[in-house]
Formats: sequence, C-alpha cells, structure tokens
Amino acid sequence: MKTTMKTIASISFTALLVACSDGGTAPAALDDGTLSDAAVESGETTVSMEAGSNGTLNIYSARHYDSDKLMYEAFEDQTGIRVRFREAGANQLLETMRAEGENSPADLIIASDAGALWRFKDAGLTQPLPEGEFEQHIPERLIEPGRQWVGLARRIRGVAYDPERISPDQVDEWQDLADPSLEGEICVRSSTNIYNLSLMAEMIEKWGAEDAQSWADAVVANMARTPQGGDTDQVEAVAAGLCSVAITNHYYWVRMTQSGSDATREAAAATKLAFPSFGEGEGIHVNITGVAMAANAQNNDEAMQFVDYLLSADGQHRLVDETKEIPVIEDVTWPQGLDAIPEFEDSDTPLDTFGERQSQAQRIYDEAGWN
Amino acid sequence: MQAIKASSFHLPRLNPVALITLAAASLIGAPVAIAIFTGVIGGGGDAWLHIVSTQLLGYTMTTLAVIGLTAALILLFAVPTAWFVSLNEFPGRGFFEWALILPLAAPGYVLAYAWADAADVAGPIQSALRDVTGLSARDYWFPSVYSIPGLSFVMASALFPYAYLTARAAFSNLSLCTMEAARSLGASPRRLFLNVALPAARPAIFAGLALALMETAADYGAASYLGVQTLSVGIFRAWHSFSEPAVAARLAVLLILIAFGLQFIERMARGRGGIQQTATRWRTPRRQKLGPVAGWGVAIGCTLVLVLSFVIPVSRLIWVSTETGLGQGQIVRPFLNSLTLALAGSAFAFVLALTITIGARQNRFSQFIGRFAAGAGYAAPGIVLALGALFILSWTGFSVAGPAALIFLVWIYASRFTAAGAEPLNAAFSRAPASLGNAARSLGASRFQRLVRVDLPVAMSGASAAAIILFVETLKELPATLMLRPFNWDTLAVQAFAYASDERLAAATLPSLLITAAGLGPVVLLSLQLTRAGQSRAAG
Repeated sequence: MKTTMKTIASISFTALLVACSDGGTAPAALDDGTLSDAAVESGETTVSMEAGSNGTLNIYSARHYDSDKLMYEAFEDQTGIRVRFREAGANQLLETMRAEGENSPADLIIASDAGALWRFKDAGLTQPLPEGEFEQHIPERLIEPGRQWVGLARRIRGVAYDPERISPDQVDEWQDLADPSLEGEICVRSSTNIYNLSLMAEMIEKWGAEDAQSWADAVVANMARTPQGGDTDQVEAVAAGLCSVAITNHYYWVRMTQSGSDATREAAAATKLAFPSFGEGEGIHVNITGVAMAANAQNNDEAMQFVDYLLSADGQHRLVDETKEIPVIEDVTWPQGLDAIPEFEDSDTPLDTFGERQSQAQRIYDEAGWN
Repeated sequence: MQAIKASSFHLPRLNPVALITLAAASLIGAPVAIAIFTGVIGGGGDAWLHIVSTQLLGYTMTTLAVIGLTAALILLFAVPTAWFVSLNEFPGRGFFEWALILPLAAPGYVLAYAWADAADVAGPIQSALRDVTGLSARDYWFPSVYSIPGLSFVMASALFPYAYLTARAAFSNLSLCTMEAARSLGASPRRLFLNVALPAARPAIFAGLALALMETAADYGAASYLGVQTLSVGIFRAWHSFSEPAVAARLAVLLILIAFGLQFIERMARGRGGIQQTATRWRTPRRQKLGPVAGWGVAIGCTLVLVLSFVIPVSRLIWVSTETGLGQGQIVRPFLNSLTLALAGSAFAFVLALTITIGARQNRFSQFIGRFAAGAGYAAPGIVLALGALFILSWTGFSVAGPAALIFLVWIYASRFTAAGAEPLNAAFSRAPASLGNAARSLGASRFQRLVRVDLPVAMSGASAAAIILFVETLKELPATLMLRPFNWDTLAVQAFAYASDERLAAATLPSLLITAAGLGPVVLLSLQLTRAGQSRAAG
C-alpha cells in the first residue's frame, strides 16, 4: 500500500517535471518579452539574431539597475530597435567575450570604472566609435583618445566622515588619511575592489610608486578593522561610531540619504561627504561609467543610435536617476539628492591610467597588507 | 575524451545498459573533463607561478579550515537534533521533526547577505547591544561574519539538513532488538547513543555530511560576499582578474581532489560501518519520554538551531524588504526563468541519476564510471563546469546568446547535481533486500525483466526525494547560471547576487526571499513525506 502510494506520487511528480520542462521550452523560445510588437506581428516566434523590424542591439552591461531596463524599453519605443542585454560583472563579461571570440553577439559594452573599460580595450575586445557630435558635448578627458570608449556618467571616490570627531581640513587631501592622528579611525573595503585599485592607480600617477606605497602602509596602520563589506558598510560603521572616516564612492552616500529605511537615512545624516584632492591644485578622483563598441559588433548603426540616446537629456536622466552618478552632459539637471555633494574640480589624469596601473596598484596594496 | 578512456578499458560484458550508463556518465563528466583538460594542457605561465607562490597555500588552508569548521557545526546542529527527534518524546517534537529541514530552502549566499547585514556593526543586533549596555562601538569585541568562522556558520546553517535527514533516517531505522538488547544490558541513554546508535548511524551521517561538505567546498556566492579567500573564490579570481582560464582550471583540479578526498573518507566510514543491522524487525524503537527539564532543554536546543539557521536570517530579509518597500524591478520574469530552468535542469539530472543508479546494478564498470562522473561533477564548482561549457561553445561556434546556451545550462545543472539526486535513489536500493535481484534471476527473469520489474520500481521509491532535492539545488545554483544564461534570462539567484554585490541589499531581498519561498514548498513536501514514511514504518 505504502509503496503503491509512493510509486504513484513519484511517477506523477516525474510526469509533472516532464510536463513542466516541456512547457518550459515555450517561454524559452519566446525569449525575452522585449520582442517588439512589430516583430510579433511579422510572425517572429523564435529567437533569432535578425528579429525586430528596425534591427537588434546586443548590450553587455556590467550595471544592474532596474532603471536600465526601463531605459532600454524607452529606446526601443523611440526607435523600434530591439534591445537584448546581458548583465554580469565587468570581468565576467570580458572573459565571456574572450571565450566567445568571433561568435560574440555583443555590440556594445557598458561598464563602470575606467579601469574596467581599459581591460576590454587591452584585450582587443573594443573598436573605435565612429566620430560624432557627442564629442562636442563631453569633456575631453572623458573620451578615450582613440574613441575606444566614451564616458556616460561620472563617479567620484571620496570619504564620508564623522563631523563631530573630524574637522574638514583633516580630510581635504588624500595624504591626510595617512596622518598618525587618524590611527584606528579609517574604515575601507578590500583592495581587490576596482574602485580602490583605480584610486591607487591615480595616486601612483600623481605621486610616484614610492609615495603611494607609503600612503597605503600608513592607511593600513590607521584602519579601525580589517577591510570587509562594501562602501555602504563603511559609511554605516562611521555612523555607528566604530571609525570616523570611510572611503566611499559619492553615490553610495547619496543613495543612503535617499533610502527608504529610516536607519540608513539617519546613518547618512550623521556623516558628511568630502572629496579629498591629490594635493593642492591636483584635482580629485573622478571615474566614469562608459560605453565601448565591441570589436565584433554586427549592429554598428543601432549601437551608435543608442550611444547618442545615452548622451541625450532623456538618456542621461534614465542613466543616473537611480544610480546617483553625475551626468556628463553639462545642462542636464542632476538627480535628486546629488545637490548635497561638495563642489569639485576634476583631475587631469588620463583615465586609461587607471587600467594601465591596475596590477601595480594591486601589488602595492598586497605589499601593505591591505587585504 | 571519455570515448578514448572507455575504449582502453576491457569491458567484460558490453550490454546495452552498460552502454547507456557510459553515455550518461560521459554527459555528466564531459564539462569537468574538458575544463581539467584545458587546465592541464593550457599551462598557465607567470600567473600560475604567481598564484602557486603567493596564494595557493592560503586558498587551500582556508578551504580546508572552512570545510573542517563547517563539518563540526553541521554535526553539532544535525546529530543531536536527529537523535532526540527520532528516539525521544519532548515538547514540540512533531514540529521540529519536519521544521528542521526548512533551512535547505535558503541558499548559503542568501543567509550570508542576511547575516552580514544583521550582525554588522550598524545592524540591529549590535545596535541593540549598544543601546542596552551603553557601550560605544569601539568598546567591545563582536564576532565578524566576514571571516572563516562566519562563512562556516552560514554554510552549516544552509546545509546541515542533509546530515539531519540521513541521521534521522538512520536513527529511526535502528533495530529494535539492538536497542533493547543494549538497554536490557543496562546501558545508560548516553552509552546507548555513543556506543550503539552513533556507530550504527555513522555511515549514514557521513553520507549526508559528505554531500554538505562538497557543496561547501564548491560554494562561490557566500564566500565571495563574505570576502573569504577559498579555492572557489580563487578560481574566479584567477579567471576574472588574471584572465587565466587555464589557471582557474588547475585550481579546480585541486578542489576536485579535495572533494574526492571527502568522498574517500565517507566510503571508508561506510565500509567500516561498526554495527550491522541484521535483525529483521525493522521497527522504530518506541520513543523514550524525556523528563520535563530534559524535555524542555531539548526543545530549546532545537529551537535555537532553527532560529539561528533559518528564522533570524529570513526575518531580517523580510524586515529589510518591507522597510524599504518593493522596487520597481521586474520580478515575475526572473521568477519564471528560475522555475523553468530548475524544472528542466532537475528533470534532466533526474533521468541521468536514474540511469547511473540502475546501471550500477548491472556491473562494476557501470557502477564505477557512473559514480566517478557524478562525483566529479558534484565536486566541481559551477564556474568550472561553465568554463568547460564555454570552451565547447567556442569550439562549436554556438553563441551564448541563443537557445543553445539554455541547453548548455541545463546540461551543466545536470552535470553538477546528478550525484545529489543519485543519493536518495541509491538509498532506496540499500533499503531493499539484496536477495530481491537474485530471487528474480532464480525465477528465470531476464536481465531486462529484472531491470524493469525489480530495479526500476525499487529506485522509484526514492524518486520524489531525489526530484525534490534536485529541484531545490538547481533553483539555488548561482555561478554557472551567472556565466551561461542567455540574453534577458536573469534568474532570481542572479538578480539577488547582482543587487547584493552592488550594495543594494534592499533590492536583493525580494529575489532572495522568492528563491527561498519557491524552495520551501518542495522542501516541506519532502519533509512531510519522509516524516510520514517514518511514522507508517513505526506503526506498521
């Protein structure tokens, strides 16, 4: 009796599995729901590279924002071009593209951090963007000299500090963080993170490797705890009183001020944001989110239309409203909350440096024992 | 490659079943074999030397430390609870009997997100501590989740139900005669547990423990989030930061060796299994009623295990997600994607598991090749299998954008998890008398008849457990899905990981909770079914 029941149960479960996996191929075949209406009407039912009446655009993006999906949809509505996207970490996308080789379907690569974009370029996975009007609207530093990538939004690495313990002049230059008076006061994430690598890369460029090494050594000596967690965790640790200076990208702090959680907003309110410079008149650490044309892109025209869209007012809004990055186009209004960041002066370091000096930066951190 | 290996063997009897088993084993083993092959022939140059001289020892020691600590915690969580639930009566026993399986529904990485947030210096636990004591954050020491013990705790929380299930089954199956003999000889409950029950249940406990530890060794999501540099994290780093897939594959060989070591220990433990159950009265011994103090003590212990492993982390995620409100993100499609992939992956893995389990009944060669391939697949982290699949994709010229990638992904799931599905099927055979097959043969049944009328029905008695475990494991899979999913095919696991690594825990909570919820239904089903089976055996 018992065995019969079991057998029936298991057979029906197996049947269910089979039935469901059969059924499962239906949505699989229909793919991504971003199939444009025109494509549906024209009788497209299966995945095909040529789907969409006005062409297709394949994007590899290292961003993961809900607003990006809405941005793709808005672009589809405007142009009738069907957007297909694949999101993963920048390194992962890069290795996927290498493994795919010439079969890679990617047309555009979107990645945060110039160091990441440099790696795509260095691996030969990008090609120059065609000359275009966009060049007149964007600061020169934000375009790779060979147009291998172009900046879409700016991101600044700075510090959030506890104003009750720290005075603004204790954090107005990066060198200040090496001061012994900050012993036990600094919270920062792991050095393997690309934001820290790019920061160190610019220090090497500005100060030379030796001074950069001394800085890393001194900061390790000033740490309140071994590096752990992300930037947000460091700001929260300042608010909780564990340390009084946290190294963070500006947008994490801005997002905290706009959070739906009372505790998170209060944590941000207990801190102040500052953008330390690399020294008098040397500027601050401004990085980018950027886009590159994939070396084997098949849909170059569609790709350029999308780049132009990203640099339009609507595209810029959709790109930064949720992320709280800073638009690259001058007259675009800033997203809510961004007005709270300090004024800043860009540095003149070529952004490719962040990539070129990446491995050197990692060695310096390793040497300093900054895990 | 498999074919070459096979032809160099001298096959005793090349019957169709053995051939089918060989085909199944090749399917399971191919991604591992290809990844390892490229690792071995690919060299690795400077990056390999750099990693060997600076990182390798650290990765290996960290992995071994995590495995050791996780093993200790799993035994601590699983064995006493299973013992009391099976053989004693105490307040809430009926509830704990099935509820202690629930943590199986929550992936390790989800527990990691929750605990990292809850136990952080700014989190609710430490904030409450400061409020109550008036201390400042600098005045006290607090254990960090971002550590080897933290990772071990999280992995043990997520995986102890494997050992709990096998231990519970073993304790419930203890022969009444053995127990009563021991009792009548004046053995105290303590000695009964240590000298009789534990040795008898040891092989079963080790089987569950080995599954859990191989899963721990292959984990990427939790270890990388908590910043613990295990081999698995090192494999990702070798590939993604040094751009050396061959080096990644070499590190993977080491990880697979560790997993085989675990399997070897498990086999040793099983082979030397202390006490043979020869008595024919397979009745669960009557449960001993514990006194009020001991009874409530046990109930509190069980509550503690359940609260720490499941209730606190899941409540924290629910709290965070309700506090911040639901995002505008798409959740329905990832949910459907997850279900579709999990169903397809577990269905394929189920067929393969059934094939190698049945095949193992035929001859030693089939048994060996099936177990070897499934063990290698289970031992390999998802990332390594994905690496193998990507190599195949690039050789054959398929794009990872289209339906081909889905097929590869389903294949990888099967390669990865078949061993977990084969375990309950194997257990079904070990419950059935070995004489069954011989009886069939002596009655003149052909090999095929024996297969269809004896082996298949016996295996199917473990089928629902196998199917459910496969479904839940596939649902939780992260690294291979991350690598191989085609355009616009985000799953819940991928979404949760992307948001969490982007420091948006609030956005990560909904997909995290949905994975857990989707796994919870099948896990409860499994739990109730096993519990009922135990009860009917006890009553019969």
